[in-house]
Amino acid sequence: MSDRVIETPHRRVEDGIVATDVSHGFDDTGVLDEISLGLERGEILAVIGPSGTGKTTLLELLAAFYPPNEGEIRMNGGDVWSQSERERLAARRRIGMVFQEPNLFDTTVRRNVSYGLHVRRDWRSRLREWGTRLFGEGTSLPVTEALETVGLADVATQTVRSLSGGEAQRVAFARALAYDPDVLLLDEPTSDLDPRNTAVIEDAIGTARNQGIGVAVATHDMHQAERLADRVAVMLDGSLIEVGPTERVFSDPDDPRARRFIDGELVYTAGEKGD
Amino acid sequence: MVGAIVEFATLPLVEFPFESNYVRSIVYVSLYVSLTAVLLSTLVSLPVAMLVGFAEFPGRRLAIALINTGMGLPSVVVGLAVLFLVSNQGPLGTFDLVFTKEAMIMSQFVLATPVITGVSLAAVTGVDEGVRDASYALGGTRLDVALVTIKEARYGIATGVLAGLGRAISEVGSVLIVGGNIAGADGTAITRTLTTAIQLEARQGRFELALVLGAILLVLVLLVNAVVLRLGGGRI
Amino acid sequence: MHRREFVATLGVGGAVAIAGCGDTDDSGDAEITDETLTLTTTTSTYDTGLVDELTLAFEERFGAEVAVVNEGTGAALETGRRGDADVVMVHARSLEDEFIREGYGVNRRDLMFNDFVVVGPDDDPAGIDGTSDVTEAFRSIADFESVFVSRGDSSGTYAKERELWEVAGLEPGGEWYREAGSGMGQVLVQTDQSDGYTLADRGSFLSMRSQLSIGIRVEGPIQDGPELLANPYGIVAVNPAVHDNVAYDLALAYIGFLTSQAGQDVIESYTVDGEQLFFPRALSAEPNFEQYVPEDWTREEG
Repeated sequence: MSDRVIETPHRRVEDGIVATDVSHGFDDTGVLDEISLGLERGEILAVIGPSGTGKTTLLELLAAFYPPNEGEIRMNGGDVWSQSERERLAARRRIGMVFQEPNLFDTTVRRNVSYGLHVRRDWRSRLREWGTRLFGEGTSLPVTEALETVGLADVATQTVRSLSGGEAQRVAFARALAYDPDVLLLDEPTSDLDPRNTAVIEDAIGTARNQGIGVAVATHDMHQAERLADRVAVMLDGSLIEVGPTERVFSDPDDPRARRFIDGELVYTAGEKGD
Repeated sequence: MVGAIVEFATLPLVEFPFESNYVRSIVYVSLYVSLTAVLLSTLVSLPVAMLVGFAEFPGRRLAIALINTGMGLPSVVVGLAVLFLVSNQGPLGTFDLVFTKEAMIMSQFVLATPVITGVSLAAVTGVDEGVRDASYALGGTRLDVALVTIKEARYGIATGVLAGLGRAISEVGSVLIVGGNIAGADGTAITRTLTTAIQLEARQGRFELALVLGAILLVLVLLVNAVVLRLGGGRI
Repeated sequence: MHRREFVATLGVGGAVAIAGCGDTDDSGDAEITDETLTLTTTTSTYDTGLVDELTLAFEERFGAEVAVVNEGTGAALETGRRGDADVVMVHARSLEDEFIREGYGVNRRDLMFNDFVVVGPDDDPAGIDGTSDVTEAFRSIADFESVFVSRGDSSGTYAKERELWEVAGLEPGGEWYREAGSGMGQVLVQTDQSDGYTLADRGSFLSMRSQLSIGIRVEGPIQDGPELLANPYGIVAVNPAVHDNVAYDLALAYIGFLTSQAGQDVIESYTVDGEQLFFPRALSAEPNFEQYVPEDWTREEG
């Protein structure tokens, strides 16, 4: 019995990110074991599995934070780690990311949300921006639109310290949307939020997908996965044990461990690998 | 540029009954030397703090130890070292720096830098790693991440800068040795600062003037500390 | 006499020559723009205020700037040895001689003199008031173990004090003998506060007299006291052959000015609290060869 699940060959991901045979570890500890997974534009992919199973590492690799020990990360067909720094930077800049913590900058909401746009400018226009800041700021359309997606257009001028936890996470979402990325990587974005803020974010995820953005959501909340996702990938022990359309994975998964996990049993990872 | 601002700021002192030109020129020298030294020191300290805080390199531990040791350098020792450097007989003799404000800036630079670097190091390494990751994930280059880190650590860094300024403006040992405590016969201070002037006037028994100068120095130091307290309080 | 004129002319001539070479305008007076003369002198000399007075007169005459660094006698000479000063003015003949012997100083001139006095409390516990035998006075102070505050540094005053103890055949020590390691002004204040005795140059004492309660107990030669308490001042230029970037011509202009009638007049007319502090010594119809060479120099030295 094979533990590895490979994306069906005919699914060639042109416009998103693909991880091929990616293995990775830190300090002699293996975290990911030969993962092959693709994220396309215009879909929502949920990555589910118990905590500590490597979901965060996978997302960080997809975001090109660091090169995988083995395997390739391809974006728009090109292997990002064979490219020059400049090309890789350009590829990275097509990605938006939201973490479990909002990780906002200690300034106004507006400046947080416009950060992505700001760093994409060349230095001369950046200096000009800083200069005009001294005399008051204007609003920019992408910022307003992004904030509207999460229902917070009216707090643009507030400092982030005045926001609640839920509002902060929504701002973090708007911040990742503002520069119109091709894909969004979300690492447990609503696990700390109350139902209302969770609903706002899930709404925004849907909006993003409808705009053609590919969204990967790592989550341990299976109901959320069922609600949101077009496709689901099930991870266990650093391996991908099941991937496919949401309905099929949830009603009739191929892998028995996946079935047990979906049924709500916590699957303990030690010593269960295919023997 | 700094000089013009300082001259303007010390205009109120003209009202003094005591030898107003003398006192004003002394305050000018003190502020010019210390502010310039701290400005230059900050420009060097921030990149160094970022480097030591976030880069891996052999001798990193040694660098941290040096920074911490440097904070306690006795000012007279630094003064002597700089004097021998800029003396006519020394390696930098050709630049004619001995007994000038520039030499004083050099020695105060050496005194202030470890302080500013050390405090800034603590501040930047204290920035939440998640925020740094966010900056990178949003498409920032390593330079962008560094700028965000500095911005997030700005209160801590400001505290460090002000600590360095407090140290510079209160010290007497190094500026006395490298500056020579010179004042023109017309009473205009050339390398005479508040601290060295107090020392001279007290030595000559002119205690009233010494106290006036001391009061001015105290006000400046209190001002610096007040700003530090406000910044520290604002954080929480 | 010819020598004096010659030196003065040399100084002025040098200044004029510089003025001609520099990019100054025709302002009439010999003006040396952008040139600063660095003078080191002792703290006690500087604290009397005479040096500023002389500097003002010199700057007016020549237009050059004088930067005066006041430090201890030893430090003043050391600064000259390093070439960080152009001209040195101290009052410690033996140390000046050493300076010249080592080749660091040239063109030494006698400048002025005052004297030392022994000051102490009015109730005079050691009973030395009015004596003209300063050695005996020192012995009394030691015998009575009255508080004596010493400079304890490398100053000319301390050198004189050491000399007096030596002549008296004593090595002072004990709780009553306090080495302050600080300048004359501070030592006087400390002496005043501990109701003790000290050796001070008259100039420093007079300029601080209004703040002190102690007074002169043993007079110096200016007021008919013993010659042993004489305090002569010398001025010497730093040798340009050792440090080629000292402002030698400016230094000679300065020496020339100070030892000219104009400079000596400034010195003579300088008073503090109505009293004259210094007595001019540079000009004399009688030849004074001793001022140019170390005191014990002989021809055989070469």
